[in-house]
Amino acid sequence: MATTKQPTETRRSFFGWIIGIASSVIGLGLVIPLVGYVIAPALKRRDTLWAKVGPTGSLRMGEPEELEYASTVKDGWRTVTAKKGIWAIKQPAGEVVVLSPICPHLGCGFRWDPGDHTFKCPCHGSVFDVTGKVLAGPAPRSLDVLPSKVEQGNLLVLYKEFKSGLDHPVEL
Amino acid sequence: MAGKIYEWLDARLNLKSLGHTLLDESIPGGASWIYVFGSATLFIFCLQATTGMFLALYYVPSPDSAYDTVQFIQHEVPFGWFVRGLHHWGASAVMVAVGLHLLQVYLYGAYKRPRELLWMVGVCLFLLMMAFGFTGYLLPWDQNAYWATQVGTNMVATVPVIGDGLVRVLRGGATLGALTLSRFFAVHTLFLPALMVCGIVVHLFILRRVGPAGPWSAEQAKQRSETFYPRQVYMDAVVMLGVFLLLVVLAWTVEFPLADRADPADHTFTPVPEWYFLFYYQFLKYVSGPLEPLATWVLPGLFILGLLLWPFIDRNPERRPSSRPMALASGGAFLLVVFALLGVSLWSLHTAPKIDPSVARGKVLFAQQHCMACHRIHGEGGMVGPDLSYVADHRPDRQWHLRHFHEPQSVSPGSIMPAFALEEKNLSDLTSYMLSLKSGIETSSGEELR
Repeated sequence: MATTKQPTETRRSFFGWIIGIASSVIGLGLVIPLVGYVIAPALKRRDTLWAKVGPTGSLRMGEPEELEYASTVKDGWRTVTAKKGIWAIKQPAGEVVVLSPICPHLGCGFRWDPGDHTFKCPCHGSVFDVTGKVLAGPAPRSLDVLPSKVEQGNLLVLYKEFKSGLDHPVEL
Repeated sequence: MAGKIYEWLDARLNLKSLGHTLLDESIPGGASWIYVFGSATLFIFCLQATTGMFLALYYVPSPDSAYDTVQFIQHEVPFGWFVRGLHHWGASAVMVAVGLHLLQVYLYGAYKRPRELLWMVGVCLFLLMMAFGFTGYLLPWDQNAYWATQVGTNMVATVPVIGDGLVRVLRGGATLGALTLSRFFAVHTLFLPALMVCGIVVHLFILRRVGPAGPWSAEQAKQRSETFYPRQVYMDAVVMLGVFLLLVVLAWTVEFPLADRADPADHTFTPVPEWYFLFYYQFLKYVSGPLEPLATWVLPGLFILGLLLWPFIDRNPERRPSSRPMALASGGAFLLVVFALLGVSLWSLHTAPKIDPSVARGKVLFAQQHCMACHRIHGEGGMVGPDLSYVADHRPDRQWHLRHFHEPQSVSPGSIMPAFALEEKNLSDLTSYMLSLKSGIETSSGEELR
């Protein structure tokens, strides 16, 4: 080695600056888009639509009936027809109350027991009356009511899901 | 603050000596812009690894979903086009960087003793990079991906004795399908990266053991030497930034649309490989019949073997290019052949009649409007109306078709065809499709890829 050229202090800091700027531009140029890319699905609200579940004429007063709610939803890149069983109960005044099929305790599906006129959840034993009020078991709140309306004799439902385990309904 | 954290860590991990080892490696002859290609290659590889990992968040390797998930990434995920664009152009950029790196090492005779192993591992990394390109090409599962992979795997079948078995292993069965896609995905995203990382580690390890080669003249190398940091790091960083910005601009501005979804039944599709396989694609066109195996595996095999063992073939100890006429002549001849083939291929692709996008749109409209109910094209469709297979042969007039779509009876009295109340643009597309239906179009639309 004849000579070893030692860069002066200012040259060193100039190179340091350029290296720093290059790495920052590349880093930020990647991190900003990539964060957006990753969190996008978390920010997207699910779009649900009113779906026709059937005529109200065949419903019997005060007697819950399981109807099929089918709607086309986008699940990521897929467009799927989601099917859910919802509970429709015709009221004395003629309107229809629609209950979500999911137990507000931990999210199991409950059944209607026509014998003692209650909804029973098989998972942890919660019992609800026909209006959805908790009669027994660990459920923290009444069954969730889904928005519904009757148009030209057809029942329309807007399906929603709620967080389980809370004492009041919070939409997911 | 940062300084304090560094002091604290250094007191425990002895970072200063590590920094010294990493950054104070001496470069004979000093830093130079000609040495940036290795770092640039490594940088683009890291970029590919990063964008690839992020693509895997949404990509699903199954024939049912692959194409849809790529469309989803491209059109619906915020910045999806950006991540996919970087990955797409990065694949090309890494090939360019590897090529330049190899050329520089070749020109500088840097593969000679004691750096033979460094060169050989480098050649292996180059082959792995090619494998990345080949396996990644299938993943979007569009027509190009499917048919190009069909061709690529078929070439393996020409290897004697083991060829057939080898193709079946590659494809995961007799035909290209779900198992091919899933194994190409696994190889592209798990096996190859693992091998690549090991290879890079070995490559760098050997580099540190033997040291950088430096300039070809020993006097120049002795004149001065300089540490890796700061000047070489600075040059590498500037080049990396340049490459990154170039890729961003490409991803931003140059479209690379997906072809149609892969359709194994559509044998009319002519696939074109990526540009870095084009020279080979062109070469295959010249070699046919009994000579075919020569092109599909004998020559490539010999070439790879020759490249791998090059430091032992070229035993001339001299590094200065002027003292290595044979090595430079053979390298130059090889480049000349490759670039000539690439040029011919690009030229013939460029001059080959392209499928007009409005023809493609018209074809879609033709299906959507159920024209097939009455009209027949190449044996498919109803017989109520005239067969349209070669309609443009006797109806080459664009205006005639436009008027005919508006009001069939105005140009063809007594016709029972209904008028189609479509937008002008759609009618124009349909007309373009009609005008594309003429005899002899198949033969001129490009040779079949073998």
